[in-house]
Amino acid sequence: MSDSHNISDSSHIGEMNVLLVDDEKHFREILVKRLSQRGIIALQASDGEEALRLLEEKPVDVIVMDVKMPRMNGIETLRHVKDQYPATEVIMLTGHASTRDGVDGIKAGAFDYLTKPIEFEQLLRKIRQAQNKIRRAETEKKEIEFRERIKQQMAINERLVALGTIATGVAHEINNPLAIIQDSAGWVKQILAKPEMSTIPRRPDFEKALDRIQTSVDRARRITQQLLHVVKTQSAEIPDLVEMTEVNLRKLAGECIALVELEASYKEIKVSLESSDPNPIVWTDPYQFAQVLLNLLTNSIQATDAGGKINVVIKSSEEQVSLAVQDNGYGIPEENLTKIFEPFFSTKAVGVGTGMGLYISSGIVTKLGGVMAVDSQPDKGTTFTIELPVKA
Amino acid sequence: MFKTPSRILLVDDEKDFVEMLTLRLQEIGEEVLQAYSGLESLEKLKETEIDVVILDVKMPGMDGIETLQEIKKRYPLVEVIMLTGHGTIETAVQGMKQGAYDFLIKPADFDELTTKLNKARERRHDQMERIRKAEANSLLRRSNI
Ligand SMILES: Nc1ncnc2c1ncn2[C@@H]1O[C@H](COP(=O)(O)OP(=O)(O)OP(=O)(O)O)[C@@H](O)[C@H]1O
Ligand SMILES: [Mg+2]
Repeated sequence: MSDSHNISDSSHIGEMNVLLVDDEKHFREILVKRLSQRGIIALQASDGEEALRLLEEKPVDVIVMDVKMPRMNGIETLRHVKDQYPATEVIMLTGHASTRDGVDGIKAGAFDYLTKPIEFEQLLRKIRQAQNKIRRAETEKKEIEFRERIKQQMAINERLVALGTIATGVAHEINNPLAIIQDSAGWVKQILAKPEMSTIPRRPDFEKALDRIQTSVDRARRITQQLLHVVKTQSAEIPDLVEMTEVNLRKLAGECIALVELEASYKEIKVSLESSDPNPIVWTDPYQFAQVLLNLLTNSIQATDAGGKINVVIKSSEEQVSLAVQDNGYGIPEENLTKIFEPFFSTKAVGVGTGMGLYISSGIVTKLGGVMAVDSQPDKGTTFTIELPVKA
Repeated sequence: MFKTPSRILLVDDEKDFVEMLTLRLQEIGEEVLQAYSGLESLEKLKETEIDVVILDVKMPGMDGIETLQEIKKRYPLVEVIMLTGHGTIETAVQGMKQGAYDFLIKPADFDELTTKLNKARERRHDQMERIRKAEANSLLRRSNI
């Protein structure tokens, strides 16, 4: 193992791990020493098997490896390495006048090959080239991931907008017939209430049916009204309905908690509030923000068993304030994480959840200039985090 | 409950809706007239004295807001309650700015509707009362000269 940790010029090389594999001990030791003088820390292995063992403990970026080795030769080791650690780059060292080995190495995925006796500066250049290739691949991968995430986000947004448009249309089309149903049933009820009707046969049956019509209409009405609310919160042309003002988030959170405390106490759920800053001030619409908070708290209560805990944590910095609602409830299965913000997505019984809570809430948060994120582990719990700018 | 006799005009292009709401309002002793478009409502207002108009925001042809503007221009003392079926509260807010007395989201709760109806009616009577007094006063003043 390398003992050369006192390197002065390691900074321009950056963190890089090199593994040197050669059965000639003397050759290895000289090379490791020279590399360390140039700021490169190299591990050593005397053959392919030892190399693979070392890699299991600690993967490296670049391997410099002799082709001719006893037992497992260099090309065979190379195949194993490329198979298990595809990102690792390998520079092969071939014997004099055996270009054949070098070509085989390249075919098996080596970065390049050098002919022994090697020229040290050339090896150094090759190592650096291999390192650059790794760096490029890493940045490319990150860029691809980033683009993929943006694309997904955009697809989700587009779907939300489309759903919103459809939803509003539906709400509109449903409301008129709903009003007619409601007034027809209401009319019959009014008639039944007349004194001359008090003795009609099967009166309770009529009343029961009318009652069912009324509760069902109420349910449908709640759904359409929430849909209409979505339009309100999503359409950007009505800023006068958003009333931005200075809000003490801790106070507001306390008020919201007080509103759900009774419901929580039925299930013996403890709701607590933590804030690093006693007066975390944000510029926002207190009513709309309270609506979001109530939605999140209600969700947490519904997702948590008796004796559970819900924690509201506020953290503030110069530019932004974050508020997290954490629970130790059922959690959200991974496959649902992207769906929960869609309108009408609900895992709750009919009549308990309409699936509009998070759709509306995320719309409000976006409109208030913030972002909402979710982190959840099934059976462990869920955390919803909202980040708001301190000043709009 | 004491109720001053008054007339309500119900304006909506949905015939079934107008019919059912009319029946309910008649059941509690209201006198109700119907119009199925903005233009028709203006005709009815010309022919008959109306206290409160219940007006749907969304109608083909002349829409609720236009109708409201026309009603308020011609009969500033007639109270108008807007019904927003398609829910952009926006339109309702716009209606309030144009002088509507209040608005309800369809399907509206009947009790809520009658409450607003009574309040609208009260305001109309108050205003008529005040105008009558003002007229009486100015008559008085003129005769004093
Ligand atoms: N804290 C949470 N823990 C576990 N699951 C959650 C949590 N919050 C939301 N969910 C899941 O996300 C779904 C959607 O939540 P959302 O608030 O949008 O609708 P809902 O609660 O079902 O109905 P409503 O809109 O009436 O509140 C829920 O049905 C539930 O499955
Ligand atoms: Mg919810």
